[in-house]
Amino acid sequence: MSDCRSIEKVGQILCDRGRPLTDRFRALFTLRNLGGKHAIDSIVRCLDDPSALLKHELAYCMGQMQDPYAIPYLVNVLKDTNQEPMVRHEAGEALGAIGSPAAVDILKEYASDPVVEVAETCELALKRIEWLHSNDKSNLTDNPFTSVDPAPPSTENNIETLRTILLDENLPLFERYRAMFSLRNNGCKESVLALSEGLKCGSALFRHEIAYVLGQMQHEAAAEQLIISLRKPEENAMVRHECAEALGSIAKDECMKILKDYSKDEERVVRESCEVALDMYEYEKSNQFQYADALSKVAEDQIK
Amino acid sequence: MADDHDFHSGESGASETYPAQCSSLRKNGHVLLKGRPCKIVEMSTSKTGKHGHAKVHMVGIDLFTQKKYEDICPSTHNMNVPIVNRKDFQLLDIVDGYLSLLEDDSSVRDDIKNPSNELGKEIADRFANEEQLLVTVLSAMGHECAISVKNCPK
Repeated sequence: MSDCRSIEKVGQILCDRGRPLTDRFRALFTLRNLGGKHAIDSIVRCLDDPSALLKHELAYCMGQMQDPYAIPYLVNVLKDTNQEPMVRHEAGEALGAIGSPAAVDILKEYASDPVVEVAETCELALKRIEWLHSNDKSNLTDNPFTSVDPAPPSTENNIETLRTILLDENLPLFERYRAMFSLRNNGCKESVLALSEGLKCGSALFRHEIAYVLGQMQHEAAAEQLIISLRKPEENAMVRHECAEALGSIAKDECMKILKDYSKDEERVVRESCEVALDMYEYEKSNQFQYADALSKVAEDQIK
Repeated sequence: MADDHDFHSGESGASETYPAQCSSLRKNGHVLLKGRPCKIVEMSTSKTGKHGHAKVHMVGIDLFTQKKYEDICPSTHNMNVPIVNRKDFQLLDIVDGYLSLLEDDSSVRDDIKNPSNELGKEIADRFANEEQLLVTVLSAMGHECAISVKNCPK
């Protein structure tokens, strides 16, 4: 099934600007799950798309695949100041996710980028690579999701202590991220509420990551704070985008209503996120088994 | 069939089930599907999307009615697992379709039906044949039934 021709076909869905964005997203995650050079080539071909949302997801997926083959493409995106900040941020994060020391020099260079999200991301990616190649990996909690995270969990386990670290804006972002992933791995309601508090913190990058992990946890206790952030017109679009997708993943009725409202938002990235989020909602609520279902779609088309 | 079991009003209520993360369940293990205690006969996990969580599709066979149930659950969510026990009893008699079973303390139980299926027929035939039999009784969520029969060790 996952021969070159099928990958090629899925890649065509991804690059087809005439298709609904939701199909293209599903195709992208199909390619991420398949992996390999051909899948990456198909993803790279799409990097000149007009949708910043799609492009940032392309970079994200290349990081999640952890294939060093993608490094030069991600470096080009990080360097390209014509790309939107959220796309460049994701390229920096992806380089951290791949974790190769080969990316250290470029990340050091962009750790002082004038765009604060890009600079903070490169700083985090450097810390992650440093941690990855250190010997300090014992006694950490397991990640119940298949994500490659921008930071490992904390060595601390007490929820109240983790909450304090998470919300202390004087601590380095990397330490606070570690607390964030520990709370996420813990998964209980108390952790969800501590993380939701993080949506009120200073750094937009930090708030967007909080929204992402709340989307992973799918706990309805997070919905209220995510809705508040999505509703704020003055909130950074990257944060509002991540809140929208988290609400799609939590998939409660009240989430759908607000996603429908904001699928007409002024910000393109928020609008498109709501569209994608409504598709995630649909997937969560239905009996559909695979979200990344483009391979079976391609197979069906061949039979027709 | 024992289709009239009511699993929603277990007498003790407290420790008939325990929660377990869906991804920790395994084929041939037990789980509650649509409120029924089932043995898992099929289990598959989907690929993941953006947030890295998968759906798990499970097919189970009701421990008491052999009916098939299925469910799809996010892999990180908790499912209820029934506490299942098995115990062997020596068969003393079959009276009016009920099994007379010898307890460890030498008392006799006579509240478990000889099942109205192939197994029940086998138990009745072998008992009529004067074989010394051990009947295995399975219990979960306040309900019990005979699930297998074998010869007493000599």
